[in-house]
Amino acid sequence: MADAAGPNQLFEQWRKQFEEGAQAWSRLISQTAAAAPSPTPDPTAFWRPVLDQGVQTWAKLFAQTPATPELLTQWKQFLDQWIEAWSKVLGQAMGTEHFAKLMGQSLDQMLVTAAPAKKVVDQQIEQALQALNLPSRTQLTGIAKQLVELEDRIDRLEDSINAKLRRLSEREPK
Amino acid sequence: MAQERFADVVERFTSGFAADVPAETIKQWQEELERGFRRLHNLHGLLTNPVEPKTGQTPRVEIYKRNKSRLYRYESARTHRTPVLFVPNLGISRPYIFDLLPGGSFIEHMTRQGFDFYLLDWGVFGPEDNDLSVEECVTKILPRMARRVLETSGTEELSVLGYCMGAPISASFVASHPEVQVKNFVNMAGPIDFAKVGLFGLWLGKENFNVDRFVDTLGSVPAAMVKACFKLLKPTMDLSTNLNLWWNLWNDKYLEGFQALNKWANEYVAFPGEFFRQWVRDFYQDNKLYRDELIMGGRPVRLERITCPVFVVGAKEDYIAPPACVRALIDKVGSREREYVELPGGHTSIIAGRGAAVHCWPKVSAWLGARS
Repeated sequence: MADAAGPNQLFEQWRKQFEEGAQAWSRLISQTAAAAPSPTPDPTAFWRPVLDQGVQTWAKLFAQTPATPELLTQWKQFLDQWIEAWSKVLGQAMGTEHFAKLMGQSLDQMLVTAAPAKKVVDQQIEQALQALNLPSRTQLTGIAKQLVELEDRIDRLEDSINAKLRRLSEREPK
Repeated sequence: MAQERFADVVERFTSGFAADVPAETIKQWQEELERGFRRLHNLHGLLTNPVEPKTGQTPRVEIYKRNKSRLYRYESARTHRTPVLFVPNLGISRPYIFDLLPGGSFIEHMTRQGFDFYLLDWGVFGPEDNDLSVEECVTKILPRMARRVLETSGTEELSVLGYCMGAPISASFVASHPEVQVKNFVNMAGPIDFAKVGLFGLWLGKENFNVDRFVDTLGSVPAAMVKACFKLLKPTMDLSTNLNLWWNLWNDKYLEGFQALNKWANEYVAFPGEFFRQWVRDFYQDNKLYRDELIMGGRPVRLERITCPVFVVGAKEDYIAPPACVRALIDKVGSREREYVELPGGHTSIIAGRGAAVHCWPKVSAWLGARS
């Protein structure tokens, strides 16, 4: 009995800490929400029940003696639920218009900065390769494109020859 | 008080422990310990001597190639007359996911069911392919592939099976090429109504994403960027994958499947620039396919012109092509015979893995088999 009380006490303390933490989060979010014009979603709503459930399960399991490998399965399930809860929280955050706008702006900024730098680097590489009498990536790409076009022309020729042959064979008396 | 000997302490502790613990529990812990050793052994092998998984083992013949694209025909007993042209996604990932391992392969399942099965592998694109557009795929590549299938199989009709973005692309082809006789059309997890397409729809929306600037600057969508976008879609995926790996690491069969799937999941393919521009603008931003505003090669693409039997498969937990945007095809086609099923699983697990073998493959092959 005394053995079971130890872990229980420990988990009760943890649980209390989580409760206090969750309350602190809620207070913080509600303060921010009061200051902000739009309502902010409560992120604690997702992970609180999961943590509570996990802690309760663990407290129950530790109270049982002797411990079996079932404990590990429970721990795995707890981690799965925890990851899933975080996945939902992150999914919700990334599913907002604000996040999409922010991501678009960051990408735009990166492209605006990268474009001139890329152009300069490309030009310099091109010049260096020309000086070394070596073909550049642009030249090789150009040749590859010509090959693709040639292949396309051959395909078209093949198609038209086949179509003509088909028509001829249809005309032939049987 | 006389000092207790250490040996006595050990004896008291161990005999007490053994007395309290039932034999069944001790056996369970021994098994768990054994699993722990196997985990460590397999982890050592995974880190020091990683084995290259043998994917794509179903026998096949390349019957046509055009630039990077290949058309493969798979060996089968052919009990169904109508051949099946399978059109997967272009870019993003390689198509060996559909023929991952013997016993866990969609293609193997279809060939065993007696289908004359053809896979269109779009290929891995380089900078020389940046001018390739969706229009070219619909009006040039797909008609040629379909013709080769008909020539090789010696039939006048074929079934088209589109997966992921291969579904809207092949739906555009079927809707705009009435001269190609399509007997059946199957859409597996392919988005049709892009207004309901989820996170990608939001991120690639007109207000948030300047596709012209993106393509004009980078020329294409590099594989690393495709990877980053898909990882962002589910940021906890790697964590849960590694947790599940550790949990099942003792199981050799699981490890074999994991290695094959992990190889595929980390092999991303770049998008050609013009393809990406048209894909994002016409499909994601303007939703032209669903709104009947798409024109390909001078031909209007109207989904109502698809009049063959249509089978649509949505995945319940699909966050890339949510069920609502996949199901939309049912309401748009002009077919008298149309059916929608929603199966458990995500975007990939609907077509690959143990769940797919139980829930999805038999349904698709049974539906097609009855009409082929």
